[in-house]
Amino acid sequence: MGELRLPLLMFAFVPGDSLAHRLDPRGKLLVQIAFAAAAYAHTTPRGLAVLSLLAVGCVRAAGGSVREVAWGYRWAAPFLLTAPLIAGATLGAPWFELDRAFRAGLASYRVLLILLVAGAYVRSTPVRDSRAAVQRTVPGKTGQFLGIGVGLVFRFLPLLRRDLVAAREGMRARGGGALPVRDRMRIVATAGLRRAFARADRLALALNARCLAWNPTLPRLCFRRRDLPVVALAAALLVAAVVPFLRA
Amino acid sequence: METQTESVDLVGDEAAANLARAALFAALVGAFAYVSFPNPVSPAPVTLQVLGVFLAGIMLGPVWGGVSLVLYLVAGALGAPVFAGGGAGFGALVGSTAGYLWSYPLAAALIGAVVHRGPALRDLDDVGLPTLVGAMAAGTVLIYALGVVGLYYVIPEFTLAEAFLQGAVVFLPAEGIKVAAAVGIVRSEAVAAA
Repeated sequence: MGELRLPLLMFAFVPGDSLAHRLDPRGKLLVQIAFAAAAYAHTTPRGLAVLSLLAVGCVRAAGGSVREVAWGYRWAAPFLLTAPLIAGATLGAPWFELDRAFRAGLASYRVLLILLVAGAYVRSTPVRDSRAAVQRTVPGKTGQFLGIGVGLVFRFLPLLRRDLVAAREGMRARGGGALPVRDRMRIVATAGLRRAFARADRLALALNARCLAWNPTLPRLCFRRRDLPVVALAAALLVAAVVPFLRA
Repeated sequence: METQTESVDLVGDEAAANLARAALFAALVGAFAYVSFPNPVSPAPVTLQVLGVFLAGIMLGPVWGGVSLVLYLVAGALGAPVFAGGGAGFGALVGSTAGYLWSYPLAAALIGAVVHRGPALRDLDDVGLPTLVGAMAAGTVLIYALGVVGLYYVIPEFTLAEAFLQGAVVFLPAEGIKVAAAVGIVRSEAVAAA
């Protein structure tokens, strides 16, 4: 049967007034990039211990709990947990190299930390702010295009998911559940595709009729005093990421 | 109060249609991430995401197919739950799934370029079965090559063989089923009429 897995807890923006909710989205994006760079440059027990504290701080600042955000990324768990086992196992004596498994474990753990920090952003940033951040950062029509496109993806994702649920239920009701996987995929995907194209045509018509402009009014973004520590944190992380390469 | 004084810059009809299709396709690839089927040859269930990448290249062509998948990545990085298992956020683009995700726009562009033999769209009825299957096979190779190389970089302890074992062996057989499904979709009248 074509299963449509609807996560119990969709990982998405949660309205609130935490510290991270009030920050400029561009500063938060910068911190994520700098954090990832630092995590890749310092995959040592000491480096990751410091970054762990920082990651927990980010999640808390976004008004979330580590458990809630980590649960949103549970799809990554099978990979992150098996990576040390696969790296450690050898085809012959000594069968398992603890040292390699440990280092692969550290590499896995840093991915978890990067996901937590990204989760803090997702939890604390509404679509409008993200869209504005893209359009204010990427210049010209490319930025406008990305901004409009991102807004539309957010808008239509739930509708298309519903279309696919309806297609799957229709298929089941007609006894399609007994068909081979290839045919079930084809039936569900065809229905999804047809609805998506129909929606795209109606949307294009509406965009033309409403005179879509490349330069609509966006929510104002401005760096305030409370964004200074965020930018300083990102700068510090970037410096920390670059220092090992300068020493080498 | 900030006031914009420049004139309004309107989007042309064709650009609006392409934008709508690219955005809807990006959302569809995201919605496909939620549809999982039991894998006949391995315990890991398969989602339809890669099928969405195939179809983006075939239906939208190399330019807009690639653009659509770029939108998918940007929207996902900014928090739309479009990645596998409803995942979202920048972390997915630098974590264990990085190689696969970055390969999607390239694979869609490659598939579109092979199927349409250039940036302009051809009528899909004129495209032969070998071209269609060959394009998707090339796209699959690209996706898994970058995916496995991504794993190799994310977990530096891995040898390439271990990365292949972890990142491709379990999933690769299901791609054949998706290629077959994509051929069925392209050849079906239902979509041709849309």
